Amino acid sequence: MADKLLRMGAVGEEDAILAFKAIGAVAVPANTADEVASALHRLSRDGIPIIFITEAAARMAPEAVARYDQAMETAVIPIPGIRGSDGYGAQRVRDNVIKAIGADILQYNN
Amino acid sequence: MAQGKIVKVAGSLIVAEGMSSARMFDVVRVSRHRLIGEILELRGDRASIQVYEETSGLGPGEPVESTGAPLSLELGPGLIESIFDGIQRPLDRIREQAGDRIARGIELPALDRERVWDFTPVAQPGDAVEAGDVLGTVQENALIEHRIMVPPGLSGTVRTIARGAHKVTDVIAVLEAGDGQEHGLSMLQRWPMRIGRPYREKLSPQMPMVTGQRVIDTFFPIASGGVAAIPGPFGSGKTVVQHQLAKWADADIIVYVGCGERGNEMTDVLQEFPRLHDPKTGQSLMKRTVLIANTSDMPVAAREASIYTGITIAEYFRDMGYRVAIMADSTSRWAEALREMSGRLEEMPGEEGYPAYLSSRIAEFYERAGQVVCLGSEGRKGAISAIGAVSPPGGDISEPVSQATLRIVKVFWGLSAQLAYRRHFPAIDWLLSYSLYLDNLSDWFTDHVSPEWNALRLKAMTVLQEESELEEIVRLVGMDALSWKDRLTMEVARSVREDFLHQNAFDEVDTYTSLEKQYRMLRLILDYADKGQAALDAGANLSDVIGMPVRERIGRAKYIPEDSLIYFDEIESELAAQTSALINRGGL
Repeated sequence: MADKLLRMGAVGEEDAILAFKAIGAVAVPANTADEVASALHRLSRDGIPIIFITEAAARMAPEAVARYDQAMETAVIPIPGIRGSDGYGAQRVRDNVIKAIGADILQYNN
Repeated sequence: MAQGKIVKVAGSLIVAEGMSSARMFDVVRVSRHRLIGEILELRGDRASIQVYEETSGLGPGEPVESTGAPLSLELGPGLIESIFDGIQRPLDRIREQAGDRIARGIELPALDRERVWDFTPVAQPGDAVEAGDVLGTVQENALIEHRIMVPPGLSGTVRTIARGAHKVTDVIAVLEAGDGQEHGLSMLQRWPMRIGRPYREKLSPQMPMVTGQRVIDTFFPIASGGVAAIPGPFGSGKTVVQHQLAKWADADIIVYVGCGERGNEMTDVLQEFPRLHDPKTGQSLMKRTVLIANTSDMPVAAREASIYTGITIAEYFRDMGYRVAIMADSTSRWAEALREMSGRLEEMPGEEGYPAYLSSRIAEFYERAGQVVCLGSEGRKGAISAIGAVSPPGGDISEPVSQATLRIVKVFWGLSAQLAYRRHFPAIDWLLSYSLYLDNLSDWFTDHVSPEWNALRLKAMTVLQEESELEEIVRLVGMDALSWKDRLTMEVARSVREDFLHQNAFDEVDTYTSLEKQYRMLRLILDYADKGQAALDAGANLSDVIGMPVRERIGRAKYIPEDSLIYFDEIESELAAQTSALINRGGL
């Protein structure tokens, strides 16, 4: 049980995700759209509930990421890459807020 | 004969006195014009009479003469390809005689007395025959062999029987009844139209009447010998569905009753049917059709009778062992005629002014349908399938005519204005409609089409029901909120709707779909559903699954001609190939 709770995955450029290995996450390097999609599907199929993905990788395979937006058993969470955040994660939060409450209350970001 | 005189005229209803010897439902001749009427009510020596013709110019004091017989139809060779009015007057011959409008009091026999038919005896002198036994046959046209039967209520020994050319009224056989009395029989029988013709035994319907209409045959089949109703608001395509059924239904004889509808709809039938060919026999569809026309501008009382005229003719052919389909368009107009007459009779009105006996009258009509063992020693089986259109005002089926009809019929094809507005034809609402014959017919489909048939049907129906649930979610939170599995379900449902249920009545190929092709089409669409899901599970993207090039071909599968069903194999293998390509790319 404890083992299951702790399981995490990471997908993205090798340099960015290596650190996750240190805390016991399953790190899968991916550099093309197909690799990203396949890494996500494989981690999800293995029952890993939380998958971190670098923003750059998420941008490469938007449809594969979108698939897990509605999936209950897997959460895909974008994180900044080695070059810092490009705003992808923040935009997603904003979009979800707009969908949930119908107004863009995070405007101050811009 | 009773001879009375008019005391009151109210539209098509007249009251006459001095009619004490007349009987209920006797036919009377009214005034010097000799208009045809029927007794609806008797109080002392006063009779209320509904007149089947225009009554303007009539006044009190004019004579009314009873014929002493109920309103009867003439049944015999010459019915097929004819067009009659509500009380079986031959409209084509009336036109030759009197022009475009029916002149009042015109008297013409329903069946042409001068036409000569070639009678071939089946029975031999000395044969013992009973009611319903076939005496001989007349080849009425290339399609229909008209069987001349011993009329109900008569049996005995054939004394003489004549071969060769005869007119309908000629005596073709002499029958000696049990009491030694001799009866001369002609090819013509008379039967009172309000009384159902007798049969030996009623059977439970076990096989479908194939109509070639996908939504009907697959989802809401009607049994041969079944009863169905098509309620729907104006413009939702009731008449087109009725016409489609009249054209393509798998029946030997079609009786089409145009009852209170627009005249040009009848014109459509008259113009189109001779040009169309029956897919099975290759003959013109008119060669199996009898038309009864009482359009909206014809006298209302005759409209009331037209339904009975239609069903009596249907019963007559059923007794020969044929499968007959009768379409009535529309029973609402017929019920309105009942209401009009009831109002004039000053009866206590029931719901919405319809007479209290509305539902029993509707039941009387539909109950005359069914599959039966006919009279006669042969044990022939015949069937009448009855399909009635109902036009509820405003499309609201809570009104009395729809409700009374729904209590009796076992198939309900509910037309939806919304579907019609979206140009989805036939606009039969799959969530509203039902067929209670499904259980009876499932074995037949398993044996004659495919063992998979019932499972496929159920699966497609489930997809459509899921779609309507998912649509609620989509309306609330948008398409994005659906999981990919649900999005694929929506896509498959769209395919079932657009590629399968939608059927173009005016396309040469699409207008009729055989059961085999229906099965292949449905299998193809549901195959796509399974394969698409497998591809998604293997990691393929939704947009790739939805955008598979083969879907274009699935969508066009309805236009594959009946003789080229081999193309389905090709599409199936293309689907399999494209799915495995997606699965391989999916990366799992």
